[in-house]
Amino acid sequence: MSAAPLLEIDGLVVKYGPAVAVDGVALSLERGERVALIGPNGAGKSSLLNGVCGLVKPASGRVLLDGRDLTGRAPGEIVRAGLTQVPEGRQVFPTLPVEANLLLGAYGREFRHELVTATLRYIGRRSEISTRLERVYSLMPKLHELRERPAGRTSGGEQQMVAIGRALMAETRLLAIDELSLGLAPLVVQDLSEFLLRLNEDEGVALLLVEQNAVLALELCSRAYVLEAGRLVLAGPSNELERNETVRSAYLGGGLDVAEAEPDTPTEPSS
Amino acid sequence: MREFLQLVVVGVSTGSAYALVGIGMVLIFRTTGIVNFAQGSFAVLGGLFMVELVDDMHGMLAGFVAVLVVGFIGSLVGFVAVGFRHRTTPLASLIITLGIALLIASLNLLAFGDRPHTYPTIFDRAWDIGGVLVQPQYVLVAGVTLLAALLLTLGLQRTIAGQALVACADSRRAAELVGIDVRAVAVVAFAVSAGLSALGWVLLTPVDPVNYDSDVRIAINGFAAAAFGGLASIRLAYLGGLVLGIAQQLVVGYADQIPGLGQQARQYELAAALVIMLVLIGWRARHEVHE
Repeated sequence: MSAAPLLEIDGLVVKYGPAVAVDGVALSLERGERVALIGPNGAGKSSLLNGVCGLVKPASGRVLLDGRDLTGRAPGEIVRAGLTQVPEGRQVFPTLPVEANLLLGAYGREFRHELVTATLRYIGRRSEISTRLERVYSLMPKLHELRERPAGRTSGGEQQMVAIGRALMAETRLLAIDELSLGLAPLVVQDLSEFLLRLNEDEGVALLLVEQNAVLALELCSRAYVLEAGRLVLAGPSNELERNETVRSAYLGGGLDVAEAEPDTPTEPSS
Repeated sequence: MREFLQLVVVGVSTGSAYALVGIGMVLIFRTTGIVNFAQGSFAVLGGLFMVELVDDMHGMLAGFVAVLVVGFIGSLVGFVAVGFRHRTTPLASLIITLGIALLIASLNLLAFGDRPHTYPTIFDRAWDIGGVLVQPQYVLVAGVTLLAALLLTLGLQRTIAGQALVACADSRRAAELVGIDVRAVAVVAFAVSAGLSALGWVLLTPVDPVNYDSDVRIAINGFAAAAFGGLASIRLAYLGGLVLGIAQQLVVGYADQIPGLGQQARQYELAAALVIMLVLIGWRARHEVHE
């Protein structure tokens, strides 16, 4: 209906007490787009994400989803508006079975201020939710196999799938993944990346990858922003950034061929 | 042997009521990180309301109403303790619950006076099982407690609302991120815990009268029961309650027989039982490390 981008961030400032973690960041993301946010450890990537997702109230600036101003709203409202964060370290509910983890994604979406009406709304939409669960299982058959197992007793890659599945159960249109590759084996990261590409292309779910692993992020996304010390220092199409001298030396290990440069741990920037 | 069994029967029953208080503490601690010291007050309120209500209506209905009312009071306490502001620390919340416990005790003193309150049991005689006298009320407390603990466990595992509580206990941050309002869940945890505590003394009061200041004893015992499982496990809190109840009865029962101690033994009931508990907790912790 409107030409407004799916996500638009304008002049966002996130502070922890006197410390400024994010200092006036502006970025935007269209429907179905894949965008990366790269930068070194401590650049403020996670703070930016938390400011957008409602975990931290931004000091100033605006966050718009579909042109609707949702700055500083509760996390639940952001989820209902279509943006779900897959947090760093995955953060599944370890003692609950995989299936309960997934269903809680749908439940959280119904949650407004208190539990009783949330539960009633959830029960009211029960059939719709089980259809959605079947859909998620068909996209990720592995989760169907593991549905009875406590999520804490699955592998790191499987937990990442659970966290993504949980977001899909919340009918997310924009999946913001914080450090997809952290602590996972390269092969597992490969599988996850392929899955995310399919999810994006077949289901139209937009992706915002927040990554230290610039190689992975640039490979997977069409556009990227570079964040340093709370400020955007670069932005552009991935293939241009891959050729950019600063990016190469700081994030891509200075190698000649990006595809072969894949470092296990991202190199620290000299700043 | 007969005396031993007699003491165990009584111990299981009082221990069950402690277990309910302890389970409530575990539920609140796991979902919010708060150690709720108003938990004993909920039990006392349950007993006192029951004594008031049971004259006017059927016992079952009176118990139901008492549990519901205390559950509601619990949700209010939870609302205050968790904080209107976004970030009240668990330590601040703990102190708030301590203050609320004092407030409730004072109000109880004003409203109900300082004498012990009780109501007559509906059962007119005790059962004689192989020479051991068993009061049906004891069986009722133990049975209902076990049922309540099982229902709670089942509810937490099988219903989506229960799973939301477990989710908050597992990872508050992740729960927030999926959209669950953690503070709203905390209020529910307080309400359920208050209802459970009240249930224990709604049933136990005929055999264990309550005072306005019984809350301290109950809170300490409940905490000890919860601590048996490191404030983390409902099952171990239940077990801890039973162990504690039995230990107390044995101390009272056998100390009575030591010449020169006699009637004074009752004073040492709580202290002795807590020492036993401490030893058991230490033993369990050590055992866990070695595993």
